[in-house]
Amino acid sequence: MFFALDAEQLTFASTVRDFLAHRFDLDKVRAVVDDTAGDGAPAALWKAAGEQGWLAVLVPEEHDGLGLGMVDAQVIARELGAGVAPGPWAPTVLAGEAVRLGGSAEQQARLLPRLATGQLAATVALRGEGGRYAAAEAPFEARDGRLTGRALPVEYPGIAHTIVAAAGDGLYLVDPAAPGVSVTALSAYDGTTRVGAVELDGAEAEPLPGIDAAAALLDRAAVLTASDLAGVAREALRRTVAYGREREQFGRPVGSFQAIKHALADLHVGITMAEHAVLFAAHAVDAGLPGAALAVSVAKSKAGETAVAATGAMIQYHGGIGYTWEHEAHLFYKRAKRQAAVFGDVTMHRERIAALTIG
Amino acid sequence: MDLTYTEDEEQFRDELRSWLRANIPDEWTRPGFWRSLPSDESFRMRRDWERDKAMAGFAGIEWPVEFGGRGGTPGMKAIYDEEMVAARAPQTVNALGLTFLAPTVMAIGTAEQKRDIIGPMLRNEVIWCQGFSEPGAGSDLAALSTRGVRDGDEFVVNGQKVWTTNASHGDKIFAMVRTEPGDSKHRGISMLLIDMHQPGVEARPLRQLSGDSEFGEVFFTDARVKATDCLGSLGEGWGTAMLLLSFERGASGIGQYTEFRRQYDEIVRVARRLGRAQEPVARQQLARCLAELECLRYHAMHVLTQVEQGRDLGSEASLTKLQWSETFQDLWEVFDDIAGPEAVLAQPRPGLDLIPMQAQAFWSRSVTIWGGSSQVQRNIVAERLLGLPR
Ligand SMILES: Cc1cc2nc3c(=O)[nH]c(=O)nc-3n(C[C@H](O)[C@H](O)[C@H](O)COP(=O)(O)OP(=O)(O)OC[C@H]3O[C@@H](n4cnc5c(N)ncnc54)[C@H](O)[C@@H]3O)c2cc1C
Repeated sequence: MFFALDAEQLTFASTVRDFLAHRFDLDKVRAVVDDTAGDGAPAALWKAAGEQGWLAVLVPEEHDGLGLGMVDAQVIARELGAGVAPGPWAPTVLAGEAVRLGGSAEQQARLLPRLATGQLAATVALRGEGGRYAAAEAPFEARDGRLTGRALPVEYPGIAHTIVAAAGDGLYLVDPAAPGVSVTALSAYDGTTRVGAVELDGAEAEPLPGIDAAAALLDRAAVLTASDLAGVAREALRRTVAYGREREQFGRPVGSFQAIKHALADLHVGITMAEHAVLFAAHAVDAGLPGAALAVSVAKSKAGETAVAATGAMIQYHGGIGYTWEHEAHLFYKRAKRQAAVFGDVTMHRERIAALTIG
Repeated sequence: MDLTYTEDEEQFRDELRSWLRANIPDEWTRPGFWRSLPSDESFRMRRDWERDKAMAGFAGIEWPVEFGGRGGTPGMKAIYDEEMVAARAPQTVNALGLTFLAPTVMAIGTAEQKRDIIGPMLRNEVIWCQGFSEPGAGSDLAALSTRGVRDGDEFVVNGQKVWTTNASHGDKIFAMVRTEPGDSKHRGISMLLIDMHQPGVEARPLRQLSGDSEFGEVFFTDARVKATDCLGSLGEGWGTAMLLLSFERGASGIGQYTEFRRQYDEIVRVARRLGRAQEPVARQQLARCLAELECLRYHAMHVLTQVEQGRDLGSEASLTKLQWSETFQDLWEVFDDIAGPEAVLAQPRPGLDLIPMQAQAFWSRSVTIWGGSSQVQRNIVAERLLGLPR
């Protein structure tokens, strides 16, 4: 029995963590958040993601990738979450997964090497406005190889060179510059991530021939998002504990009050469970375990619920300062809120758990 | 990542499974069977069965062979816990001895204690009670006031223990007794191993809220115990107790998961029978519990991994306890919600016998109290794992 990260995975995690701590700390994140006119994809971070293999993690070695699995990918996602890091890492990795899972050999050879190095950014458009994240509820309709429909929120559509679009009969590649494609930026309160809408009006699209790739892609998206959430939650708790030790009221550190201690203890338990759940779900997806769908929904619902609670607690136990724009609590809180809602919210994943265990 | 057991471990599983299959009568596995017997009889049957199991080599799985154990791996212990639940085997009658006393004796007992305590315990010749709590000392164990006064090579013990599990069936009790006027609350306590079959010891059953009497009170009136029947050094009982309590049921999380998961399925059956399995709110509540149960399973794999790597889990046991006990309690809260008005009917109805489930629902109220209450566990998690100030 070995249910843990191995030495290489731990090293990978600390490489990402150290890079963010030294080269892309919260001041840098804040600059991206405040620069609302910018593309939200800082070049320094993107360069590191390409050079250090963060983007290559899931790309097979034959296409210049590292050929690793979701367990390794969730390591990176967690650190990016903990650093509330901006940029299109997740959507690009997911678009790569769509091509790896559903693409032809030619499509893979054409796209994967460039996605692995960061030469191309890409994104996925898997949900329609007001709809659910489910393969059966794809946002686009396909007719004669042309797609029509509207997807949102889509991460970083403005800088994506390729959009993976979900239609009722499978996944397609869409060139954002093609006629009939319109990409609109949407302002959103989680400034660490840029989102937009993708509208297709009879746009030409290139099918990914693999079947069942859409469902597999949604599960992978849920796992990486859950991992980001676990990272956000862990860091929110760490910062709240640090503040509780230092801030004094009534002549003692506020963290010595049991009302705060017990709430933080429960969060520690919850976050630890979320971390286990993400790790297990990533492994279940990698190994194709029969319980993988259940594991994914456990991980996403647990991580979503816990991150929203942990970041809410971060605000509460910082008191007034926690409610200011100047304080970092809102960066974590808003990222948690957004990530908890995408690729299936808590309620949707619980309903899937119910369907799998109750019928 | 490797979630499999070794070949030896799987071989052990096969052997245990066939022994269990051959040695558990079908009737015993019927829900409610054990509750249908008078409690003394059920205790005796379980005691004898467990002895036979030990003689067959299926006890003390991960304990060294020199102490009468099987010398197995932590993985085998996890498999043992899982298979025992899966086979609906009778529950142990010597839990406090097996879980707490035996590993402490192995760690710090004298040669005689190792010889005289562990073997007889494995064969259920001696049922052990844990004599820690007193009317005035529960969470604050060091406030205990049971006293032992030296008389030659013996101690004369006076005082009272309470909520003592197995009080009416116990043969011996490992009791925390104040034997020296220590200079602080935590000093001067000794862990004495007292024979309960003597005139100075009286056990009275207490009726629990479930109606059962698994625990009771133990009164010491000039009870006698040899000064050598002390585990650890005289006056150093606090350290002994801390060591003893550190032997949490780490690897058995897999067994707990197996048991709770089966209970989840039983609750789902009740929901179906009552036509509530498609209600969105009930489904959300059940799914939340299921997710927590799955987390408990992952956590058990994490704990097993750490144990196999030889790491000391330390205060992480408090986190484990919070996860399993709070999840178990939540699950039975959901049962009550789903069963609705039927949940309180203490009488079987056609196709619907909720009594064994009600017993679990009651029991779930106790698990956040014994073994360190949830509040105490949260203090430990906050102070020792998170580093918040006292
Ligand atoms: C089914 C069952 C079996 C048991 N078996 C045994 C046994 O075999 N042997 C044995 O010795 N004991 C046994 N006990 C007793 C058990 O260990 C105690 O009940 C437990 O330690 C709590 O002590 P208490 O009951 O005195 O509650 P108290 O300590 O008085 O606690 C009352 C309340 O105050 C809270 N509280 C206490 N201290 C703090 C704190 N510092 N911060 C915040 N909240 C606090 C508690 O969580 C609880 O909610 C058993 C109990 C039960 C229910």
